[in-house]
Amino acid sequence: MTHDARGWRIALLPDTLINAPAAAAAGLPDVLGILELNGYGVLQLPPPGEHRRLLAVIADQVAEYAHHGYAVVAIGVRGEPGDGLHWRRLAPLLRHRGVKLPPRHIIRPDLDAVVEGQRLAGFLSGYDLPVEEQRRWRV
Amino acid sequence: MEQNAPRKVALIANCLLNQNAKVCQGAHYRGVVSPVVEALRRRGYLLQQLPCPELAFAGVRRWWAVYEQYDTPAYRDHCRRLAQAIAPRIEAYLRHGDEVILIGLDGSPSTGVRFTSSAPDWGGRPNRPQDDWHIVPRRGIWIEELEAELARRGLPPLPATGWALDMGRFDEAGSRRDLEQFLDNREIAAGSQRADPAPP
Repeated sequence: MTHDARGWRIALLPDTLINAPAAAAAGLPDVLGILELNGYGVLQLPPPGEHRRLLAVIADQVAEYAHHGYAVVAIGVRGEPGDGLHWRRLAPLLRHRGVKLPPRHIIRPDLDAVVEGQRLAGFLSGYDLPVEEQRRWRV
Repeated sequence: MEQNAPRKVALIANCLLNQNAKVCQGAHYRGVVSPVVEALRRRGYLLQQLPCPELAFAGVRRWWAVYEQYDTPAYRDHCRRLAQAIAPRIEAYLRHGDEVILIGLDGSPSTGVRFTSSAPDWGGRPNRPQDDWHIVPRRGIWIEELEAELARRGLPPLPATGWALDMGRFDEAGSRRDLEQFLDNREIAAGSQRADPAPP
């Protein structure tokens, strides 16, 4: 693939990490900024609640990426129901589509936001598919 | 801010947060399209990402295509299904009294707002080394179906524009000026409404 800037890595991200209320945002790292710096794209998950159809649509997209050489991770946040990831519903949807569950990284708002940001950056920069898988797809 | 105060919400094309959704050779950023996100966040918009209809239909290894190739009953059904999945989120914002805008992707056969790409003679064996499609002023198919679904729910038309990524040659500075002008004109309009004297 020539002249294409894609990063081949994608993060599932809870709504609250994209649209944090002002009071909560102060205690959280700038997750969107850190994902951008590390070259990740974002798939936004809905806020807590019943989103059966939307989660199935998101699972379809994750399956398409996972089956074609993209690295997918999930970034949760402690204190949200299910860490904001809808995992009890999303995990079976992914398994049903033959997708190995993405590694999860959970942000802790009770810890220092700068340190949590560094921990997230370390996780993101260190994760990718095995080199042979990358070579197979990313040409 | 009060819990129930109206908010500003931007519905954004999937690939504005995730360039991996683009067709091969269509990604201009690694992941997040930062100028769009910055322009919206600086003005206090919440972000709501839309699903990518092409990715889930023709796949991430799909060929380039134009409006006429996607204008099929099966693709429109697929877009309607996606619209029904995301519409409850949009409806919740509107019923809450939030200001909702739509930022699509101009030039896209699916997500174009002001412009889409057209070439009635495309089809068969892919052999188009030159950019021989036309940019025409109309919605892409996904935006047509999304707007139709919102209308079926009795919701008002949304103010909309497109980030001009798929217009042939991508001009980031021009696209940024264009988007910021759209957003600032809305601020000015909202400000003058607030400044109007209250009715007796």
